[in-house]
Amino acid sequence: MGLFNSIKQALGVGAEAAATRDADPEDLFGMSTAYVTMEANLGYRPTGDAALCFSAVESAGFNDVVEEVKAILAAGEEDTGTVAEFREDSYGYRWIVLEATDFEDLVTSVHFASDTIIEGRYGSRLLAAVFAFEATERAGAETGQHVYWVYSFRRGTYYPFAPKPREERNERVEFKLESVLDGELTVEDDRGYWYPLWPDTTGSHPWE
Amino acid sequence: MASMEWQADWGLRGRMLVTMVLLGVLYVVAIAVLWELFTSVLIIVVFFGIFTFAQVFYSDKLALKSMGAREVDASEYPQLHRMTERLCQQADLPKPKIAVADSNVPNAFATGHSKDSSAVCVTTGLMNTLNDEELEGVIAHELAHIKNRDVMVMTIASFLSTIAFLMVRYGMFFGGRGRGGRGGAGILVAVLVSLVIWVISFILIRALSRYREFAADRGGALITGNPAALASALRSIDDTMERTPETDMREQAEMNAFFIIPIKKGFIGKIARTHPQTEKRIEKLQELERELHT
Repeated sequence: MGLFNSIKQALGVGAEAAATRDADPEDLFGMSTAYVTMEANLGYRPTGDAALCFSAVESAGFNDVVEEVKAILAAGEEDTGTVAEFREDSYGYRWIVLEATDFEDLVTSVHFASDTIIEGRYGSRLLAAVFAFEATERAGAETGQHVYWVYSFRRGTYYPFAPKPREERNERVEFKLESVLDGELTVEDDRGYWYPLWPDTTGSHPWE
Repeated sequence: MASMEWQADWGLRGRMLVTMVLLGVLYVVAIAVLWELFTSVLIIVVFFGIFTFAQVFYSDKLALKSMGAREVDASEYPQLHRMTERLCQQADLPKPKIAVADSNVPNAFATGHSKDSSAVCVTTGLMNTLNDEELEGVIAHELAHIKNRDVMVMTIASFLSTIAFLMVRYGMFFGGRGRGGRGGAGILVAVLVSLVIWVISFILIRALSRYREFAADRGGALITGNPAALASALRSIDDTMERTPETDMREQAEMNAFFIIPIKKGFIGKIARTHPQTEKRIEKLQELERELHT
């Protein structure tokens, strides 16, 4: 990869290639076993929320794809009870927020949504999938504290995100999550890529 | 069906490759000729070489300093930081340092020789002039420069050119203490050869610099998925630039090569431009925008 990257950089297409590289949604299924470990070994249980973050494109084709995702998720709501909500945050990024009692339904819905966007050939717009967990008494942290596993579509890797009030990160918790889940999930080993996804108000989810 | 699959710009890649090959050939020939003339020149080349590279590795901070820019953290410019983070995520880059320069001239530049040492600097004027979408476009353009490692590419490309320039300027000085029999006359030839190398490489490097700008525009537009916003940002930067008082421009003239749009300082001539004309860049972005809708 090193030489290939160097050639891309020499030709000035590195940025272009990275921005248009397609995403692989199959990695998302890693989460459907990881959540068991999260609860059993760490004491963090899923809150029942997950979200998909992507940047919008101002084109009719893109809007068609988003409508298609909406239709699929609406049909899914009748089958599984997974509720989907479409939002835009203050940075102009779109979120599909999903809520389900069964964690595997969440993973399936996130996969469905991202797969539809990729099929519509807008996979390069997918930024992240976020799965929310909260601390139980067993976690050794303040009960109810939220932590997240973020899947980066660009990198094809996961990283933990444990926000604290005032836009600080709980690195101790993130370290613990990384150590225990590494292997089960492909954890991003370069911390420079552990981008935070701060919520608009502290204490709420990144998509709020 | 409309989609995000973009046509590769093979023309641009080709021109870039040809320019780089020509530079490479020029440098190899130059070294061979100088070697043929005498070995003492090589000592000077090595001397200047070490000097140039040392300078290069200090220049990261120098660029920020000479602009009066200072690094800012997320508490001071939360919006700028978050915007950059999202774009980095899209561009698959670790987050660079973010600096702000207090200046009414709307501009931005990226520095750094590696992904880890890189910084993006914007002026307060840029943030005042552009809306969020346009600012995003400009930052994405700078991130594309970082991703394409343009500072490093241009440093390597200009390396021998810089030495040739130094030879022309200071070669005579070394001539006074010519080594052995070949002495002064030999140095004179070396200076002449250097002059030729410098002139040719100057033209090639400027061409390469313009191609890198086009590539960064492309990269930036594909990162945001919004070529129109970058185009309108370029347009308003260009317009503001023409209205800005002359004093500001002179202050920043030497930083031109790093800017998103260089300040116009009289007629430099087409081949001496580091940046393509804004009109041409906007045209290219319009092509991308069209691709988006077809």
